[in-house]
Amino acid sequence: MDPVNAFASLAEGFQLALSPANLGWGLLGVTLGTAVGVLPGIGPALTVALLLPATYGLDPTAAFIMFAGIYYGGMYGGSTTSILLNTPGESSTIVTAVEGYQMAKRGRAGAALATAAIGSFVAGTLGTVALTVSAPAMARVAIAFGPADYFALIVLAFVATASLLGSSRTAGLLSLAVGVVLGLIGIDRLSGDARLTFGVPYLLDGLDPTIVAIGLFAVGETLALAATPPGKSHVLPLERTRWMSASDWSRSWRPWLRGTLIGFPLGALPAGGAELPTLLSYAVEKRLTKYPEEFGHGAIEGVAGPEAANNASAAGTLVPLLTLGLPASATAAVLLAAFQQFGLQAGPLLFQNEPKFVWTLLASLYVGNVLLLLLNLPLVRLWVLLLRIPSPQLYAGILVVATVGAWSVHRSAGDVVALTVIGLIGYALRRADCPLAPVMIGVMLGPAADMHLRRALAVAEGDWSALVARPLAGGLLLITALVLVGPTLWRGLIRDRTATSRVP
Amino acid sequence: MAHRPSPARLLTATAATVAWLVTAGVEPARAQTLTVVAPAAPGGGWDQTARAMQRALRDVDPHGAVQVENVPGAAGTVGLARFVSAERGRPDALLVIGLVMVSGIATNGSAVSLADVTPIARLTGEHEVIVVPANSPFRTLKDLVNALARAPQSVSWGGGSAGGTDDLLARLLAEAVGVAPAAVNYVAFSGGGEALAAVLGGQVTAGVSGYGEFAQSIAAGQLIALASSAPVREPGIDVPTLRELGVPLDLANWRGVVAPPGISAAEQAALTARVRAMVRSPAWQETLQRTGWTDLYADGPAFRQFLLAEQARIVGVIERLQAGRAATPGGFTPSPATAPAAAAGLALALGALLAWQRRGSGTSVAASRGGHGRIAAVTVACLAQSLLMPVIGFIPTAAAVFATGAYALGSTRVLYNVVIGLTVASVLAAVFGAGLDVPLPMGVWTR
Repeated sequence: MDPVNAFASLAEGFQLALSPANLGWGLLGVTLGTAVGVLPGIGPALTVALLLPATYGLDPTAAFIMFAGIYYGGMYGGSTTSILLNTPGESSTIVTAVEGYQMAKRGRAGAALATAAIGSFVAGTLGTVALTVSAPAMARVAIAFGPADYFALIVLAFVATASLLGSSRTAGLLSLAVGVVLGLIGIDRLSGDARLTFGVPYLLDGLDPTIVAIGLFAVGETLALAATPPGKSHVLPLERTRWMSASDWSRSWRPWLRGTLIGFPLGALPAGGAELPTLLSYAVEKRLTKYPEEFGHGAIEGVAGPEAANNASAAGTLVPLLTLGLPASATAAVLLAAFQQFGLQAGPLLFQNEPKFVWTLLASLYVGNVLLLLLNLPLVRLWVLLLRIPSPQLYAGILVVATVGAWSVHRSAGDVVALTVIGLIGYALRRADCPLAPVMIGVMLGPAADMHLRRALAVAEGDWSALVARPLAGGLLLITALVLVGPTLWRGLIRDRTATSRVP
Repeated sequence: MAHRPSPARLLTATAATVAWLVTAGVEPARAQTLTVVAPAAPGGGWDQTARAMQRALRDVDPHGAVQVENVPGAAGTVGLARFVSAERGRPDALLVIGLVMVSGIATNGSAVSLADVTPIARLTGEHEVIVVPANSPFRTLKDLVNALARAPQSVSWGGGSAGGTDDLLARLLAEAVGVAPAAVNYVAFSGGGEALAAVLGGQVTAGVSGYGEFAQSIAAGQLIALASSAPVREPGIDVPTLRELGVPLDLANWRGVVAPPGISAAEQAALTARVRAMVRSPAWQETLQRTGWTDLYADGPAFRQFLLAEQARIVGVIERLQAGRAATPGGFTPSPATAPAAAAGLALALGALLAWQRRGSGTSVAASRGGHGRIAAVTVACLAQSLLMPVIGFIPTAAAVFATGAYALGSTRVLYNVVIGLTVASVLAAVFGAGLDVPLPMGVWTR
């Protein structure tokens, strides 16, 4: 597709995205997304999973406009909690909790919230532009990908995700392996053999990824809180606070742009979502700032950069998801499950087969960013009210919604049993300080890796050299090997950097 | 933390609640309606058949109530097993079955088979077509079959899921020309669309699927249709049949209905008459037109004969396939069991490694006092809900989950939490029932 055509398609997408119904779904999505972003422990992955069974009858375009709103909204809402509560609303806003909370403690909550929201808007919009340009191009390239290429790509995603997320590589790989085991349960599509079912008929159809996500994120979180109930948290006041001053603006705009430049490409790599780009953006801002003494005590650059980076990476993550069917974060993994529910094939043919769907979705991302800016800055006091819901009732409510959500997937009680068991697994992983996003990625990509590997070997009549014979597959496997060996080096670099200016 | 419920008290309270809920439960009665069970999730071919039957049966008899029930799972064998046990002797239930269920019975080692149900009628079906890309060196079925006979592995077949109609046709064809079914290099894709891309891209030698999947590409000259699996040429499909080409084989992805075991001959006849009248209705004919399903209606002894013969040949080919697979040693290629074994082994090894790395460091977050009891309480509450929801309904079970959850997270105001729980559950029930058209089970209270 040439640029002129793409522009025409996008214009058409805008027409559909701005229809009253789709605008309504988008508004619902961004509202829900902001709310779940604000509430610590509940993220967009869980919310989309909970809504999936309920949206079965919906038009896929409307459903995805809502889901995309939730995804982007979660990124905005997470910062509010980080700044006012010093508890990251989302894993991607961990760094924001450092500088943002310090700003809020010094009475500059308004400026921190504003630079986060406006930075999110700038980066979200620029990231969406980059997505609009690069996704169709990527889809054209990806059409030529064969099973060996996909296998190499998934192996790279596995290794990158497991190495870059969480406390240690071992922990990340353990989560990933658990996810792959869960994903492989059921009848194998290539041979028809039952795998890991242990004679239980319920397991023959495999675990629904939706149920795995709800179990991990809702039940697991509730169990973790039941094990060690948190103390009372203190929300910092917003009264008598000023929004951004002229100096705040001049100190923010460069970090926004740099955050975007860091966030989008790293988000587009299959490397586990927004955590890495935000950390990297923070490190870069700390290095480049003219006010190094403020870092750790509320430097606005340390909020502006990472917040921009996390929204840009959200847009970046959509590139491999839409064009390759490759999820790079927990939310993207759940979105991939959503594609499957609606019978849509995320991958290179999506732009050809479902142009109306894709372009409306892309257009809705621009619209969603505008809505989010309007929703977040003036209404921030309303969102803060959510933080006053006492956690016993909040999580009890989530538990109820989780069980009904799981039940409604197939209207089967077996799903609620599976949900509970997966919740216990999620709790055990949390206890062991293992990240949960690799579990979801393993669930979605484990069976795919197995299938592509066996397909590639079947087509090549069992010749293993077929896995590296294609330049792309061979190159990707080489990169994978580097990622596997490289982290020791990489971690050394990061440690060096943080050692010179330690975060308090 | 002020007051914390003790785990013992919590468990006792939960157990008492569960016991009360169990004794309060009674088997819910079903209204006197005809139930059509689709042994698959909403949306697929069996579900569409069941819903088309529902429309057509209402068309024939506006006073007779018909409901569709989905019991998805394992190529329909979960639905079949449930149907045989739960509906035994009931003359007011029908189960949609099809070719894929026959293969599922053989593959999954299902304890029940189609010999355990009462045959009613075969309704519809779709025939298959074998294609090669336009630039293929094979121009006729004979070319392809010769290559298959010479070197079975060199011919890769692309089609839908393993055990599905496409897979079965490739293996039956191989057997018909003297090649062992296990020698067939069948590459399964998740659906006709994905298989089509693989055939067009030259990643597989030949494609097998329903005619509809390939029709557009055949018309555009991108694919050459070598043969159709219909017994005789169908109107509008100008492709030679396998039988015309000298291969004594035909195969349809057929669908039919059966009744539960243990019904009388008169009841069987009455159900058959009802289905026969339905097939003649304008609503059914309109469905055939719209979906492109071929009318393959057969009932009585003819259908019984067909069912037995079909079961015999499908079970036969799958058994030979599985036996052949087990006997082939060959070099190391990953079998279906490789990935689960590797992943599970890796998970265990990594778990052990993590425990070793963390020994004595106390990295893991320890549960506070009574934590295990509170976790057990939440777990039991969720499991109790799954068991009791069909009996006493969603609202009381959900309220119990809410109260237990809030209690476990440190709220001691039990009555307050029960009231909130009931409110939350009622709102959810209203949203799901009225707003989303997913009625939550209300249990024995509603009659």
